[in-house]
Amino acid sequence: MTTPSRRRLMRDFKKLQEDPPAGVSGAPTENNILTWEAIIFGPQDTPFEDGTFKLSLEFTEEYPNKPPTVKFISKMFHPNVYNDGSICLDILQNRWSPTYDVAAILTSIQSLLDEPNPNSPANSLAAQLYQESRREYEKRVQQIVEQSWLNFGENEGEAEQKEGENTAIETPTEGGEGPSEPRDHDAPSGSGSV
Amino acid sequence: MSEPEDQMLTDDEDDFDCAYYDGDDIDIREDFDDEKCNSDAEQAKIESLDTFQVERLLNESVASLIEVSRITPSLAKILLLSYNWDVKKIHEMLNKDTEGTLLKSGVKPMSTAKRPANNTCLVCYHEDEELRALCCGHGFCVHCWKAYFETRLSEGVSSKISCMASNCMLVAPPEFVLRALDKASLRAKYERFLYRDYVMSHPELRFCVGKDCLMVVRSKETKPKKATCTKCKTSFCVICGVDYHAPTSCDTIKKWLIKCADDSETANYISAHTKDCPQCHACIEKNGGCNHMQCAKCKHHFCWMCFGDWKSHGSEYYVCSRYKENPSVAAEANHVKARRALEKYLHYFERYENHNKSLKMEEELREKIKRKIDAKVNEHEGTWIDWQYLHTAATLLARCRYTLQYTYPFAYYLEKGPRKDLFEYQQGLLEKEVEELAWAVERAGTSDRGALEAHMHRAEHKRITLLQDFFFSPSEYDAPSSSKFR
Repeated sequence: MTTPSRRRLMRDFKKLQEDPPAGVSGAPTENNILTWEAIIFGPQDTPFEDGTFKLSLEFTEEYPNKPPTVKFISKMFHPNVYNDGSICLDILQNRWSPTYDVAAILTSIQSLLDEPNPNSPANSLAAQLYQESRREYEKRVQQIVEQSWLNFGENEGEAEQKEGENTAIETPTEGGEGPSEPRDHDAPSGSGSV
Repeated sequence: MSEPEDQMLTDDEDDFDCAYYDGDDIDIREDFDDEKCNSDAEQAKIESLDTFQVERLLNESVASLIEVSRITPSLAKILLLSYNWDVKKIHEMLNKDTEGTLLKSGVKPMSTAKRPANNTCLVCYHEDEELRALCCGHGFCVHCWKAYFETRLSEGVSSKISCMASNCMLVAPPEFVLRALDKASLRAKYERFLYRDYVMSHPELRFCVGKDCLMVVRSKETKPKKATCTKCKTSFCVICGVDYHAPTSCDTIKKWLIKCADDSETANYISAHTKDCPQCHACIEKNGGCNHMQCAKCKHHFCWMCFGDWKSHGSEYYVCSRYKENPSVAAEANHVKARRALEKYLHYFERYENHNKSLKMEEELREKIKRKIDAKVNEHEGTWIDWQYLHTAATLLARCRYTLQYTYPFAYYLEKGPRKDLFEYQQGLLEKEVEELAWAVERAGTSDRGALEAHMHRAEHKRITLLQDFFFSPSEYDAPSSSKFR
């Protein structure tokens, strides 16, 4: 069944592959084009550098007239990200425009990482540390950057492969170590390609 | 203390004799309910408008704005909407900063765009589409506009739908939206929502709160007076739209109603619906509005609220409505304080709720009186006009009790001091008169008509005095206390 929203998501996917923006990637899950997974690489020269953060995007049939629900699956420590991974970002709420696509959403979230908006804190500790004790803030960010590698090891390179068995069966493991065997402790190849 | 007050009451009495009873007895009978009520100071000056009249009123504003600023009617409406229909203010703003005013209210585009290459719609990315754009030039295909408007409409947005382009705040004018919507039902929905937005943004207009009533009430009233819809006869506060609540202010009644919604379950639990007779301990259910109870078993007269002997109420000043605050509260432990706070709240809530229940029961009484009058007239015991005073008395009783009910939220939030003392004094007087009137009305027909009319006169007089002092001419005390609740 094709609907305007599904056709538009196919076009978003095509555009992401043909003209990929730097440092982000995403793909629909195997059996449902309304559910996407994405990776955002921490921007260089920021505390988030080398992090590989996984996100989920849930679209509805009203897309692009309504924004998707975007959440971090990887643990995040950021003033505008709630504990459950939900993101407080104006373009995902009241400033949404139907002209935005997946690439625009992901690059906006990527730039949010180093440009938090302390006026709408979703994580009050992160907001406080960001304003009052930048060193401590960066230390906490470094912790979640390292955690992101552990989880990423599970299906490394999946984003570049665009699809695969592991996409569907992959379960997000929140809160650090996780049950997986950390095959690859080194920085994943993904960050090298940024 | 009592002397100056007595003086004041007599003064007022003269005033109200003029305002309320400026005619002979027959006039009182005929007009007490209807015509006199309209000249009543509690009634807000209102105009009831139907949809057609509202449209005409709005179009007058549009026309006067077009005259001074030379913009199209639909843009004028957008401008009026964002400045609450204040033509003068818009004119001022336009003179001061035309560009900024038009940008801010979404009438003029921040930036303009060129037609996209290959006529590609930037939402669905289909090529060679027929593109439509607002004056900002952001072109999108008809299907995308339609889907976008339908989504916004399903979210309840109508008058402030902006262009689809990111960061473009230009508001889509109604004719553009209506052209894109193809279903008649959606167009009707859009126009309905638009109308709602227009009325709600207009400071002088308010929808009637009556069920399924489409009338709009227009008023320039700044005080929370009573508005009565001419069509469905529903009465409500002209400012905030809840039940009329004099002498309490809009902010206070809002607080009170929220508090009651939170606490009333507890209150219900604590104060059950029946009480025992203080003398013979027979279980008594209150089945009338009057607080003057007589035990059917032992014939003891007592007060339903304070359980005191009724005789003490009749001969001396009625103290039952006054909550006695314990002066040593501050020294007590927290749980005792909380208990006291609950007790204080329950004191006021019980009385508020009790009058509410009495009002409902007296509504039945009024019906009964109507039937009684009919029966008497049928038996040729006088004419309908002869017995009309009974009905008038019941109506007046309802009005006095209604005000009395709303004195309790007011007293609850009133700070301790001479002003509260005065208020509770007057409240006590009104309480006493209302109960005496209720007692007289319940036994009306058999008792003396002159005595009943004396009760009516006194009760209404006490009610007006209280409203006069605490509602119509709030003293300097009221300003800080009301702003505090905001």
